[in-house]
Amino acid sequence: MTALTLTLRAPPPRSVDLSALIPERLAGMNAVQIGALPLCDGLDVADLFDVDGGDARHLVIRNSCDRLTHIGSAMRSGTITVEGDCGAYAGLGLNGASLDIGGNAGAFAGSGMKAGAIRIGGNAGDFAGGALAGDRQGMRGGILAIHGDAGDRTGERMRRGLLLVGGNAGAYCGANMLAGTIYVAGKVGMMPGFSLKRGTLLLARMPDPLPVTFQDSGEHALLFLTLLEKQLQRDRDAFARFLPFGANVRRYCGDLAWGGTGEILVFC
Amino acid sequence: MIVNGVAIDDTFAEAFGMRATRLLITALNLKWAYHAARTMTGFATSVIGCGCEAGIERELSVEETPDGRPGLSVLLFAVSGKELAKQVERRVGQCVLTAPTSAVFAGLEGEAVNLGKNLRFFGDGFQMSKVIGGKRYWRIPVMDGEFLCEETTGMIKAVGGGNFLVLARGQAEALGACEAAIEAMSRLRGVIMPFPGGVVRSGSKVGSKYKALPASTNHAFCPTLRGAVNSELPPEAGAVLEIVIDGLTQADVHDAMRTGIEAVCKVGAGGGILRVSAGNYGGKLGQFHFKLREIMQ
Repeated sequence: MTALTLTLRAPPPRSVDLSALIPERLAGMNAVQIGALPLCDGLDVADLFDVDGGDARHLVIRNSCDRLTHIGSAMRSGTITVEGDCGAYAGLGLNGASLDIGGNAGAFAGSGMKAGAIRIGGNAGDFAGGALAGDRQGMRGGILAIHGDAGDRTGERMRRGLLLVGGNAGAYCGANMLAGTIYVAGKVGMMPGFSLKRGTLLLARMPDPLPVTFQDSGEHALLFLTLLEKQLQRDRDAFARFLPFGANVRRYCGDLAWGGTGEILVFC
Repeated sequence: MIVNGVAIDDTFAEAFGMRATRLLITALNLKWAYHAARTMTGFATSVIGCGCEAGIERELSVEETPDGRPGLSVLLFAVSGKELAKQVERRVGQCVLTAPTSAVFAGLEGEAVNLGKNLRFFGDGFQMSKVIGGKRYWRIPVMDGEFLCEETTGMIKAVGGGNFLVLARGQAEALGACEAAIEAMSRLRGVIMPFPGGVVRSGSKVGSKYKALPASTNHAFCPTLRGAVNSELPPEAGAVLEIVIDGLTQADVHDAMRTGIEAVCKVGAGGGILRVSAGNYGGKLGQFHFKLREIMQ
């Protein structure tokens, strides 16, 4: 069965919250009903999109741009494919579904996600997998895979899950992280792991400089990295960008200003 | 029924419902996986005195283990889920955690039984958890690096106490046939033969003249008591050995009994084997009855 397709006719004059357009809410509706759904500022779906009816379990958003926000927010099932860029809060609180963004994503992508998978083909803005202002925890589960670069404060206050960055990550990557794993294949900006409480910051390259509150624990072969690599290899098509990464790392424990029970691991 | 000169008794083995789990133990090499697994499954011949029955099921190739290292699968059986959980925690904590380079993973899906959930506290606050593929693992710092273990393993209903008795002209003949049976049975999956070398010479009956003992020697099959008791042995029988089988399913036990008895019968009357019988309690205690002649049809 063909996917339900929404084709954006032209970029809207201001941000439009698409959190209402998720597969479980659109199930059983025809194209006319979907077109009549209100979005914001008196705009309906049909005012912005051409709606091509199909199976709502797979929603395709074509010609997407960075003014479309909250795509896939709180989605629990199904798949959304975004052709183009998207705005802030993509996959906010995602819980078990799949969101595939072909282009770039704005700030707070995957913030508060609990389960499921988000793939961002391009770059992600600041706070990817991080916490909203006032929230105590960022990402709480699932996999957020950013194939390009990530902005500042990636994975801030992350609680659980796996956050992959294929390019570079900005400053304060993994700041205030509570648990979980962040992997950065490129470079990280200043102060990675700042105030890291638990969790793992897995880096392909040595941070320059390494924060002084992280101390060298030596070189080790850590078995959990083998499990992690095998897990990613099961879906090799999706994660080839991040593989292989082996098990031999240099471990830096920290943030010692916060108990030192977290770690930065740098591949040898 | 007579197979290759060996009489198959018209009787049945009486087995019991148990709780079981499978653990996957890996190490830097197979030698150290064996050290961990043999220690963990040691003193686990009978639930009567050991708390559980356990044994090595088979070797695992590097493609079969979660961490890509050589390993072994072991099976543990106990009379209740509570006792199984106690035995798993105690044995993994004392025998696998302590073995150099080892790691341990769940080998079954089922009701969750703690594996690393409490062992993690050995890490004294330095332990770390990782959720990978929906499963939680614990990284416990130890002196050779990290001990990696899955948080829980799965427990299922299983069958314990399948058995058959080999009646032979002498000890050497009985032992040789049992060794052949164990060699054949050890190639099967889902079963263990928990006694030393898979063979037991002290078959038991329920009860004793001494009130404190729950079980005592199976006098009807003791050759030295022939003439003094109501013996099950013919005059030419000089020794009886038993093979006890625990399996994850009824079919596993059935197949293992057939494989073992076939191997014994292959030795045959020419090798000094007289009869194959089985141990039961009149059919009143165990919920599973494995009839020898049906198995061998």
